[in-house]
Amino acid sequence: MSDLLSHASDAIKEILNSIGVGLIVVNRHQSVALWNGWIEKYSGVSSENALGKDISEAFSELPSSAFISAISNAINYGLPVVLSNALHRSPLALFERNFEQQGKRIQQSISLTPINIDGERHCLIQVTDSSTSIKREKILRTHSELLKKEATTDALTGIYNRRFFDEHYKMALAQAVRQGTPISIFMVDIDFFKQFNDYYGHIAGDKALIAVATALKKQLQRVSDVVARFGGEEFVLMLPNMQHDSAAQFAEKLRLAVWDLHMLHEESDIEQQVTISIGYSTFFGNESCDPHALLDTADNALYNAKRSGRNRSVFLSYQPLDEQKATIL
Amino acid sequence: MDSLSELQLDALTEVFNVGAGRAAASLSEIVGDEVKLSVPSVEIRKSSEIDNEVIGLGTDRFGAVHQTFKGAFEAEAILLFAEDHALEIVRDMMSSQISIEDLAEFEQEAMCELGNIILNACLSAMADMLNIPMDCSLPDYTVSTIDEIIQRINAGEVDAYLLLLHIDLVIEKRRSKGHLIFVLGSTSLVKLSVQIERFLGAI
Repeated sequence: MSDLLSHASDAIKEILNSIGVGLIVVNRHQSVALWNGWIEKYSGVSSENALGKDISEAFSELPSSAFISAISNAINYGLPVVLSNALHRSPLALFERNFEQQGKRIQQSISLTPINIDGERHCLIQVTDSSTSIKREKILRTHSELLKKEATTDALTGIYNRRFFDEHYKMALAQAVRQGTPISIFMVDIDFFKQFNDYYGHIAGDKALIAVATALKKQLQRVSDVVARFGGEEFVLMLPNMQHDSAAQFAEKLRLAVWDLHMLHEESDIEQQVTISIGYSTFFGNESCDPHALLDTADNALYNAKRSGRNRSVFLSYQPLDEQKATIL
Repeated sequence: MDSLSELQLDALTEVFNVGAGRAAASLSEIVGDEVKLSVPSVEIRKSSEIDNEVIGLGTDRFGAVHQTFKGAFEAEAILLFAEDHALEIVRDMMSSQISIEDLAEFEQEAMCELGNIILNACLSAMADMLNIPMDCSLPDYTVSTIDEIIQRINAGEVDAYLLLLHIDLVIEKRRSKGHLIFVLGSTSLVKLSVQIERFLGAI
């Protein structure tokens, strides 16, 4: 007898066919003895066509080999088997019902339970559609990514904030030390920004910060490069794999990018437009390196750039913290 | 009857190694890379003796896959992983198919499957060799402390005997350790011992 439900009451049939889970029962010869409404709906195979068939031939396409061997394990040993969505995705030919996704397989979670019917071992196969939970997870993940982005972005300028820089700088430097590759750090400060703010007002000041941040960001070309607002009118840039000579060119490129904005600054002591000073340093990837010391070296270089007239870039070679005093002008 | 003899433990170790071999074959198929499983030792302990040190996973939070089985003897089979280690194993298993970012949503189910494969393989090897039929529940996965696990195992009994299996699982060059723990009430232990005697007598 191939149909388990042939003698079942109408109520039982109605329930099994309406339930929102796929149910299949195969007997110990692996031929289909129950094929409920859910399975009919998503496989496109009616129970009349499936009943009595070998489970491997009941669907429009072959089930995965893992599914087939799971059934024989369940039947031979009487042990239940789980086929998780993570490791199998879509073992059975069950398809999406909505129009746009027609022909696309449903994401499935499957469990096989050995059951005894009339003294003979059968295998109950339960199939659930995991698309909904996957969708829900994706929405949550998008939200959490959005929040993460907000937490690492400077609200005014839209570039990264100090928090992001601090985290990634340490990782990038550790990687440079590990791999023996160089990394260049640039500290950037807008010249006479306080005077700019006082003279033009805070709204104009904010606009200037945004313009400078955007100009700096435009100079970055690789995904590993980072520009962040360090605080006030100060910015920091980190460029892994950049040697000293390229760093010198790059610093000049930054300075010119801001120069080319030609933002009027009548209160500047040096020029009639907004300019920046840059201090930079390079870790050559050949020794150990203290993250604070490298950042401080770049900051000392910035100090020297300001002392020697601003609107320029100055380099200092990396020095450990205790040797730094001597190099400041 | 408190315990099993050395000879019986050796026999069990052999049986479980056969099971581990089967599980390794299934896992290798899923991972698409060689997975090795071995059972270096089997020991009997009272549940009161079990603490983090005996488990030896270097953690106090465990990912645990449970299956309850009935038949010639009743037992609860639990596969324990160090919680953070569990994730790594699943990551290794899924590396070819899924990014790590996608992992969290699948973790629980995938752990169930991983545990299920290993538990089933050991149980079926035992059923085969000792010729004992078994009924078994579907697996569930929880994250718990050793006390919570012991409490669940003891349910009803004051101080149950546990059969502890140390299983080594290796994927590629990474060495990952998991513990499979069989829990046998004292009456069940006698039944198991009888089955093993019969098995040993037959060879």
